Amino acid sequence: MNQLAKDTQSKQIAAARLGIGGPVGSGKTAMVERLIPVLMARGIDIAVITNDLVTAEDAERVRRSGLIDPARVSAVEAGACPHTVIREDPTLNIEAADELERRFPGVELILIESGGDNLASTFSRDLTDFWMFVIDVAGGDDIPRKRGPGVIRSDLLVINKTDLAPHVGVNLPKMHEEALKVREGRPVLLTNCRKGEGIDAVVDLIEREVLFRR
Amino acid sequence: MLRLHGIIGQAGDPDLAPLLHHLEHEGGIELLFVPPADLGRKRFRLETDRGTDCAVSLDRNEELADGSVLFLDPERAIIARFGEQQVWRLRPFDQAAALKLGWNAGNLHWRVRFAGDVLEVLLDRPLHEYRARILPLLDSGEVSEAGDV
Repeated sequence: MNQLAKDTQSKQIAAARLGIGGPVGSGKTAMVERLIPVLMARGIDIAVITNDLVTAEDAERVRRSGLIDPARVSAVEAGACPHTVIREDPTLNIEAADELERRFPGVELILIESGGDNLASTFSRDLTDFWMFVIDVAGGDDIPRKRGPGVIRSDLLVINKTDLAPHVGVNLPKMHEEALKVREGRPVLLTNCRKGEGIDAVVDLIEREVLFRR
Repeated sequence: MLRLHGIIGQAGDPDLAPLLHHLEHEGGIELLFVPPADLGRKRFRLETDRGTDCAVSLDRNEELADGSVLFLDPERAIIARFGEQQVWRLRPFDQAAALKLGWNAGNLHWRVRFAGDVLEVLLDRPLHEYRARILPLLDSGEVSEAGDV
């Protein structure tokens, strides 16, 4: 008998864990707020963890959004540089994810938003199954060329705030092309979280690569 | 898409080895090469060396190892291998050389693909071990190495 058939008869498969990292102000929380309704509309059972330095600011923002049951949103206070709790010692986030899985046994996907960091930010594989790195055009079109580990190693690079490109002198097609080049063709998607543009493509990728629905 | 969950065992496990050996002779072994960057991942989607689209998930307490068996039935097994698949490309000089090369590859149980006039050998061991087996063909020029591994 197929191993999956045997296992699914006997136990629940753990929820997938998806990291969302990126520089301060690139739109990580906005991405979470846009992903939630699209994921839920597709019938995906989700929960959220947000990371902040010394507050629960982002968690409160998501809880108050009305998009998701507030009990499904947990906050982790890093107390130090954000990468310390998503890479060096992700114990706090692992415990938070385990706790959400215990409280919501059917949960399929847990979004884990990092605190804002720099281009060297990466997630531990112990914590996430897949992670995206969100940058924005207003941060400068040279960001992909700088080849930061977040840009290079993430499973998905998102270039957000595409609507701002003409206002900040950014050649968006060139930025996109350079991002694909430094990532050797691995996924790069463009979004405008303010208007919800490009979010369906992000969720399509999550469904295929993380949830195995496609 | 073949959905797989969990590790059945290791290729060297005494209770699995005989069946895997049998499947190897029947051409029923597929290798899933896991790139170094994906080690430690609990969910991943990759194609085997024979093109099977595998969606793999592991329990949080499971660690994938080189040789982990992910799928097993009477006709087929899928085994995880670490690192990128190395491919050795060989071009025979003429039809006679192609016959010799094909005869050697078959008798040596090499895993191969065909790409036009090139025979692609999928390497499971160091290249020098393969090269030594057909050294006369290489030295005589009947077979040449087409590009880097």
